[in-house]
Amino acid sequence: MKDKIIEYIKEELSIEPLEDIYVDEDLLGNGIVDSMGMMRLIDFIEKESGTPIPQEDMTVDNFMTIEHIMDYLSQKK
Amino acid sequence: MYNLGQLLEKTATRFPNKIAFKCLDDSISYADLNHKANQLAHHLIKSGLSKGDRVAIYMNRCLDTAVAVYGILKAGGAFVAFDSFLPTKRTTAIMKDCGIAHLVTVPSQSRKVKKISEEAPFLKSIIGLVDKTNSKAIEWDTIFSKSLENYKAPRIIEQDLAMILYTSGSTGVPKGIMHSHYSLLSLAKLEADLHESRSSDIIGNFAPLHFDQSLFGYFSGPLVGATTVIFPDSYVKLAASLSTLVAKERITIWFSVPLILIQVLLHGDIENKDFSALRWVRFGGEVFPVKQLRALMQKWPHVKFINSYGPSEVARCTYNILEEPPKTDDPIPLGTVWGNTEYKILDTANNEVKTGEPGELVVRSATRMIGYWNNNQLTEKSFYRVEVASGYDHIYYRTGDLVHENEKNELMFLGRVDRQIKLRGFRIELDEIEATLIKHELVREAAVVVTINDGETKELEAVVRPVENAEISSKDLIFFCGELIPPYAVPKKVTIMSDFPRTGTGKIDRNKITELIESNSHI
Repeated sequence: MKDKIIEYIKEELSIEPLEDIYVDEDLLGNGIVDSMGMMRLIDFIEKESGTPIPQEDMTVDNFMTIEHIMDYLSQKK
Repeated sequence: MYNLGQLLEKTATRFPNKIAFKCLDDSISYADLNHKANQLAHHLIKSGLSKGDRVAIYMNRCLDTAVAVYGILKAGGAFVAFDSFLPTKRTTAIMKDCGIAHLVTVPSQSRKVKKISEEAPFLKSIIGLVDKTNSKAIEWDTIFSKSLENYKAPRIIEQDLAMILYTSGSTGVPKGIMHSHYSLLSLAKLEADLHESRSSDIIGNFAPLHFDQSLFGYFSGPLVGATTVIFPDSYVKLAASLSTLVAKERITIWFSVPLILIQVLLHGDIENKDFSALRWVRFGGEVFPVKQLRALMQKWPHVKFINSYGPSEVARCTYNILEEPPKTDDPIPLGTVWGNTEYKILDTANNEVKTGEPGELVVRSATRMIGYWNNNQLTEKSFYRVEVASGYDHIYYRTGDLVHENEKNELMFLGRVDRQIKLRGFRIELDEIEATLIKHELVREAAVVVTINDGETKELEAVVRPVENAEISSKDLIFFCGELIPPYAVPKKVTIMSDFPRTGTGKIDRNKITELIESNSHI
């Protein structure tokens, strides 16, 4: 799942071509994805993981970095 | 007090230990901010900065922005804030345009700054970059360990340049709006008067530094000794976290684009959070849809709402305090002009219109820009001069906004005299996007329009007529634009057409194109 997310960000969302993304990098703060990109990423994760993500879960604690996303998804299971 | 450095010093003397800026768990007192700003100023001067020199700030929303802004100003420089979402080519083109030699950044931006450094050999130093292999890089700790023993503050007068703010230009070249210490100080005072703000206020700053709404938090807050809370990018963009943080920080004055307020209304779970500290909500930058404004005002009956309007060239010029939720769905008036400002409404022949008739709003104000950087022609075009006596003119800024005055003497926004639009708070010139598409060697003609899908979502869409037998895809063109213009100005969709609908005189019929796209017909 982690690799799929990284791949999706690199291929579809990053503003400029990226060589690598660190799992502890602030996706919005470091200018890797913009706010529209974040919404697309959440859609993508919902589809790929089959886990519905309710509005109240779309928080910084759950989506700031790839690490946060992975932690969030493992709790949801 | 006549410059922004003095503004900080004065408050640092009155409230040395008060928190000036806060960002999550980081905060800085007024005394500390003043000291660190002096250290940065000292360093910049020693590195060869002369008065009026432009210095880049390349940062996300963080506490260091405050040190950067005041440090540059105290050194006698002017700050130019960059949007880290801009394509590198555009960033370096702007840096070249205004002759940037020093860039101030933070380690989290390293990846992009390294790329900029490679493409901008004219940079002499990069403060805040951690990179042992780059001889231009200077870490913040080095700056903050410097003694101020030999520091001599330059003389700064109110006419001196304080800031250049770059915005979309219709010819495809961004234009730099120059503001002086005088205009920014005037703005800080007017905004403090508007909110009757005081040292107990806690200001919510949601805008990035390259967007002029942030001037309120960075200058008007410190003017009265208030605390400005800088909301990090991730919080601004994730509404559930944003509303939690606003409640936790006990924000008393909120100023943002409508979009952020709407997100918080819809997804912020605001019923279950405590906003009792909030006194004012001011919104501006684009039109707030009345239904959503009403819904928010009903949820926060204890808060006074203000519609704030003004192009970046004058920062802001009108305000409209809403005493109660709007009863009808009619558009909200822009309001009346605030202090230190006068206005006229002109017809196309520059005559004042009769009361109630539509015309272009022109504004004469203490907050008016000096002009556009390095573009005297454009500056003069944007000014409307009234000669009072030979050699003495009253200078008005032409807003390009069509307004009329209603029976209550409030200004009502009607539209634009040109093709500038506001999309999600961003100011965009449709002509610039067309000029960009035409730069592609396989494109002959291009038209960009705003479409409204499912009744409310506005999107940018382009139609393109390529040269004959050209093999070019919509994706290629979107990528091409993405390398040259800001992401928010890149068309969401590009449709290739062999020819365009035209008016009787052969001009591209953009209304027809919009209709065609919206009705989803095959074109």
